Amino acid sequence: MRRRWLAFIGVAVLVGAVVVPALGVELVFWTHEDPNRTAIENQYIEEFQKMYPEVTIRRVTYPSGDIAQIILTAFAAHQGPDIFNMETEDEYPYIINRRVAPMDPAAAGYANLQAVYDAYQAGTLDAVTYEGKLYGLPMELTNWCIFLNTKYFREVGLNPGTDYPRTWEEMMAVSELLVIREGDILQRRGFDFRYPYYLIFLLPMVEQLGGSFLSEDGKTAVINDAAWLQVLGFFQEWGPNGKNLGSPTYTNARKLFNKDNNSVAMCLTGLYQIDRIRADNLAFYESNEWMIVPFPVFENAVNNYGCNYYGHYYMVNAESASEKQQWAWKFIAFMLSHGEDYLLKCGLIQPTNALLSSEAYETFPYADVFAADMARSKMVMLHEYNPQFDDLLREAIESVMLAGVTPEQALATLRQKANELLQE
Amino acid sequence: MLPALVFFGLFSFYPIVNAFYTSLFKQKLLSLAPPEYIGFGNYIYLLHSSTFWNSVRATAIFTVCTFVLLVGVSLLLAAFIASRKRIQSVLQMAYFSPAVVSSVVAAAVWMLIFDPRGLGNQAINAVLRTPGVDHKWLASATMLQISTILVYFWKYVGYFTIIFIAGLTSIPTTLHEAARIDGAGAWKDFWYVSFPLLKPTLVLVSVMSMIQCLRTFSTQYVFTQAGAPRGPIDVIAFGIYNTAIRDHQIGRASAMSVILFCLMLVLSWMQFRVSRSDDVSYL
Repeated sequence: MRRRWLAFIGVAVLVGAVVVPALGVELVFWTHEDPNRTAIENQYIEEFQKMYPEVTIRRVTYPSGDIAQIILTAFAAHQGPDIFNMETEDEYPYIINRRVAPMDPAAAGYANLQAVYDAYQAGTLDAVTYEGKLYGLPMELTNWCIFLNTKYFREVGLNPGTDYPRTWEEMMAVSELLVIREGDILQRRGFDFRYPYYLIFLLPMVEQLGGSFLSEDGKTAVINDAAWLQVLGFFQEWGPNGKNLGSPTYTNARKLFNKDNNSVAMCLTGLYQIDRIRADNLAFYESNEWMIVPFPVFENAVNNYGCNYYGHYYMVNAESASEKQQWAWKFIAFMLSHGEDYLLKCGLIQPTNALLSSEAYETFPYADVFAADMARSKMVMLHEYNPQFDDLLREAIESVMLAGVTPEQALATLRQKANELLQE
Repeated sequence: MLPALVFFGLFSFYPIVNAFYTSLFKQKLLSLAPPEYIGFGNYIYLLHSSTFWNSVRATAIFTVCTFVLLVGVSLLLAAFIASRKRIQSVLQMAYFSPAVVSSVVAAAVWMLIFDPRGLGNQAINAVLRTPGVDHKWLASATMLQISTILVYFWKYVGYFTIIFIAGLTSIPTTLHEAARIDGAGAWKDFWYVSFPLLKPTLVLVSVMSMIQCLRTFSTQYVFTQAGAPRGPIDVIAFGIYNTAIRDHQIGRASAMSVILFCLMLVLSWMQFRVSRSDDVSYL
C-alpha cells in the first residue's frame, strides 16, 4: 500500500515538473489607450515572448478617463493586474497602502537600487519613492505648454513669433482678439484651460503669486488669500459671466486643436500632442502653422513656475506571485530600454539620463521648450486626499465661472471644506 | 420556488445585508488593514454632512419633477396611442426606442445637443428668434437640473407608455361599450371607466418610475465629466459613487446606499398602502 502511495506521489511530482513549466507564466498588463504606444508595446511583447517563451503577456487597454476606477475596483476585489500604470497622483494611494511591490533591481537588470536612481534624472523617481523603497519606473514624465495655431494669429494681425502671450494678462488680451462669438456663444476660443485638471495647471498659477494649497507642515489648507483671490478673480473674468472667453462646458480645447477647424486657437497640452496632431490631421501637422510656447506667468508673479508635471509609472501588483513580480520587472525594464522609440513614435519622455542627453531628444521638435519649462516646474502635489482636493478646486472655479459666486465666497468655502478634510 | 429564492438571496438579499454590515465599519477600498468597527458612526457623519443633504435635495428635486412628468405624460400618450389603432404599433416602437439605448450613450448624445454650439441652443433660438443666446444647458444650476430631467424623461417616457397601453388594452371592451350606450363621450369614458380600472397599472408605473428616478446616476455622471458643475445634480447615487471611488470610503458609501434603500422601501410601501384600499375588479 505504502509503495503504491509513493509511486503515486512520484508520478504526480514528475507530471507537475513537466506540466507547470509548459503552462508558463502569464502576466496581465493594464494600461490606458494610446494608439501610438500600443503599436510599439505590442511589438515589445512579441519580442519578449520570443526571448522568453515561457512568458505570456496579455496587454489590455482602457480609456484614460476610466482606467483609475477600473484598477481601483480590481484591487479592492484583490483581482488587480500584474502590471499597470496611472497618473502619479492616482498611484500614490497604492504605494502608501502597500498594494504595489518594491522594484526588483536585479530582475530589471540593474546592479543595485542606487544604479536605478543613477540612470534617471535627479528627483524624477521621488514620486514613487516611499520609506526608502522604489515602487515604480516612469513610462512618461509630462508637463504642459501652450500650443498655438499661427494661422489664426496672423488672421487677426498678430505675429505669432513675437505676440504670443507670455503673461496671463496677455493671454486674456490676445484671447479677446482671437475669439469669435455669435451673441453669447463662442464659435472660436482664443485659448481655454485644461479643465478639470486643477492640481496640474491651477495650483502653479496660485504658486506663481506666492500662494499654496497646503502649508509646509501639511496641516492647513489654502495659504495666502491675496494669491488665491487674484486667481479666482481671473477665472471669474475668463468665464461666461465675465469676458466670456471660455468655459468648462465647451468641448475640451485640446481635442479641437488638432482639427484646425477654426474652433480654438490655443490649448494647453503635452509634447505627446505633436504625434497626435500627426495621427489626427497630417495636413495640419505638415502645414507648419502651429508652434509651442511656454506656460505663462502673472505680471506680478513672485515665482516663475511652469505648469506642474506628472508622470505615468509602471508598477507591479504586490499580490502577484513573487515569480510573476520578477518577470514583470524584467518586462518593464525591457520596454523602457526603448526610450527613443517612446519619444520618436509617441512623443513620451522617459527621464533617463541616456535619453535626455541623446541626439534624438535634442533634435525633437520643441523638446527644448518643454525641457526649459520643466526646469522651472514642480511635480504635481502628492497627497492621500488629492482626488478630493481636485474636486474642491473644481467646485471653487466652477462656482466663480458659472454660478456667479464671488471669489471671496468661493475661497471661504474652499478653505472650510479643505481644512475639514485635513482634520478628518 | 427554491431556485428563485436562491437567486434572490444571492444577488439581492446578500448584497443588502453585506452593505449594512460594511456600513458599520470605517473601511478604505485600498487598505489592507482590518476595517475598524464604528457602529453607526458613518450614519451620524452623513446626517451632519452638508454634502449629503445637498444630495438629498438634488435627488428630491430630480425625483419629484421627473416622476410627475413621466407618469402624467406617459398616461396621456398611452391614451392617445391606444385610440389610434392604425398607427399604434409604429408609435409604440418610436416611443419605446430610447429605452433600449444605454443611459451613458443617451447622455453622451444629449451632451452634444446641450453643447453651447449644439442643436439645443440652435433650435430654441430659431423658435424664439433670439440668435446667439446661450441657454447654458450645462452651466447654470437650474438649466442643468432641467437638462438631466429632460434626458431621463426622453429615455423612459416610451417605456412607461407601453406599460400603460398594456393596462388600457386589458380593460374589457364591453365596459367601454356600456359607457357609450349610457351616453359617455371619449373623455368621460377615459375618466370614469379607463382611469379607475388602470389603478393597478398606475401603481406599478409609479413605483417603478420612482425607484428608477431615485437610482439615477449615469446622466449626472456623464454631464459632470463633460464639465457641468456637480452641486446641482449631485444625487445620492452619484454621491455613493464619489464616496466609494473618489474618496475610497467604502463604509460610508455603504451607509449612503442603505439610506437610499430605506428611502425607496418606505416610499414604495406608502404607494402600495395608498392603492390597497380600493382594489380593481372587472366583475
